[in-house]
Amino acid sequence: MATIDRIGVSLWTMQSTAARPGLWRALYRRLGEDARLAEELGFHAVWLGEHRVWYDGWCPAPLQALAHVAGSTSTIHLGTAMYLVPQHDPAAAARSIATLDHLSGGRVELGTGLGYRDAEFDALGLRRDRRGRLMDAALDTMEAVWRGDLGDPPPVRRPAPRIWMGGMAEPAIARAASRGYGLMLPQTLSLDQYRSVAAGYRAQAAQPGVVGALREVWVSDDPAACERHRRRIGLHLTEEAGSWWALKGRFGFEARDQVDRQVARGISQVAAGPAEQVAEALRAVLAAGVEYLALRPVFEFVEQAELHEQLRRLAEEVVPLLDGAAAA
Amino acid sequence: MRFLLEHPAPAGLDDLVRTAEAAHAAGLDGVLVTEWPQLPGALVSAAAIAARVGEVLVAAEVAVGARHPVEIAEEAAVTDLASGGRLVLVARPAGEEPGRFAESLDVIRHALAARPFRFEGTHWHVPANLPENVDQPEERVRVTPAPAQPRLEVWGTGPGRSEALERALGHLADEGDDPAELGRAWAAAESSPASIGAPRGRRERWSGAADLVERLQRGRTVFGQDWAVVAAPPEAAAEIGSLVRPRVQLHRLTPGLEQFWDEERPWERGGR
Repeated sequence: MATIDRIGVSLWTMQSTAARPGLWRALYRRLGEDARLAEELGFHAVWLGEHRVWYDGWCPAPLQALAHVAGSTSTIHLGTAMYLVPQHDPAAAARSIATLDHLSGGRVELGTGLGYRDAEFDALGLRRDRRGRLMDAALDTMEAVWRGDLGDPPPVRRPAPRIWMGGMAEPAIARAASRGYGLMLPQTLSLDQYRSVAAGYRAQAAQPGVVGALREVWVSDDPAACERHRRRIGLHLTEEAGSWWALKGRFGFEARDQVDRQVARGISQVAAGPAEQVAEALRAVLAAGVEYLALRPVFEFVEQAELHEQLRRLAEEVVPLLDGAAAA
Repeated sequence: MRFLLEHPAPAGLDDLVRTAEAAHAAGLDGVLVTEWPQLPGALVSAAAIAARVGEVLVAAEVAVGARHPVEIAEEAAVTDLASGGRLVLVARPAGEEPGRFAESLDVIRHALAARPFRFEGTHWHVPANLPENVDQPEERVRVTPAPAQPRLEVWGTGPGRSEALERALGHLADEGDDPAELGRAWAAAESSPASIGAPRGRRERWSGAADLVERLQRGRTVFGQDWAVVAAPPEAAAEIGSLVRPRVQLHRLTPGLEQFWDEERPWERGGR
């Protein structure tokens, strides 16, 4: 299998932020254009995120956005990282996913997450503390729909669209192992954490799926540009954590030191530098038991021309250096 | 009169794209997609078609009343943005509980407006402010992103007629709806200034141009029909565009024009 089959690109969110305001409909048009280039360059998949009810319009309906990508492309896979399963009606979600599977000729990669932000659950009338139970019940329903138990036709991809479990908590790993799903691990883990989580998952799973990870990357020979990119990611993460984390009844911004520490950890995992250096960091992740990478150069503050240059450099300069990097 | 083409039973994206391309080529306004057994996600189908075929309207018929209306509004907003503002959301009542469809319509319309809102209904509470959830409950919620259109069209259909008409929304009648009853319902709604310009459509089967022209003329006279959703294969689009549509645009045609069309058949020389 050529390396590029194990490399996707992430993470489109269509946010219009204070740092980089954008016209929403232009952001969705750009998504289609970006995906066409990613397909041309041979990447395996584009991955979209999901959140809701926030000022920046973070895409709350990734399946419909991916349908736009499906219509704009012909072979690249269509991923969610993550589709917040407990926040959707499971039967309707399964049918929308089946439709996307059908219309795209079996290109769906369904990364699934619990979601964590109180305001999102509350807007939908759901109890956040029940999200694990909601997830299990929803996955049962979705699998039943795809099996045809409710009378639906079978998906194009058999037996069902590929599912990836997001997160790294024990219940998520156990859920993935017992259901035969892959894993899509967060970008913030150390190499030791990747190693132990991947090994633990493979030990539990009768038939382990693919172990993937999101990784933030930036290819540049200019150290100042790399530093600037890290700083911008830091601001992006600070805004998110400061607003969304609920820490003992306080928002993240009211516990700024905790947010800053977590953001610093996040930035320390960004692979930014010349192609060889980025490749080296990614080879280390692959050597730690990760088999699939969803590389992330996409942020709302990255201009389209800049992003397209990054996609080209990743495909042409970094990915060839990953060949032969074997999973442990 | 405006026209949407509806594929009777699409096998996949190619059928949907051919239908939309045929509508575009024939000067029809767009297509309608619904929750077909083979392709049950109407908004997913709508977003995919819009990516492949420009300019046409894409109406999506969605079951409303069972699942959370905020989720439906979010999917509609994203589909509208991805299509560059070409979505019409057609709501068909789902489920049996009385009142649930009406409340769902209201939550959807709140959610598609660009402002924070609070909704306290019998069936829906948005935001819910569940005691288990929040340390700092939000009083109002803003659903984002906003659709591309300033005011996304939401139509009612099926058994949702009275809910749609009460709200001065567009209404799409089913083919089998009793014309006299429909006429009374639409006439009653017309008495409210809020209803001026509200779309009034009916689903039509394709049984040839002459038959369709006659039904549409009657529909317009008897109950003010101004949209036709025609269930027809893509091959029928050209006839609808050349033979049906021109005959139902104006209150009356210039004497002699129809005879000219019948004799000269200008579309056969028009380069099509």
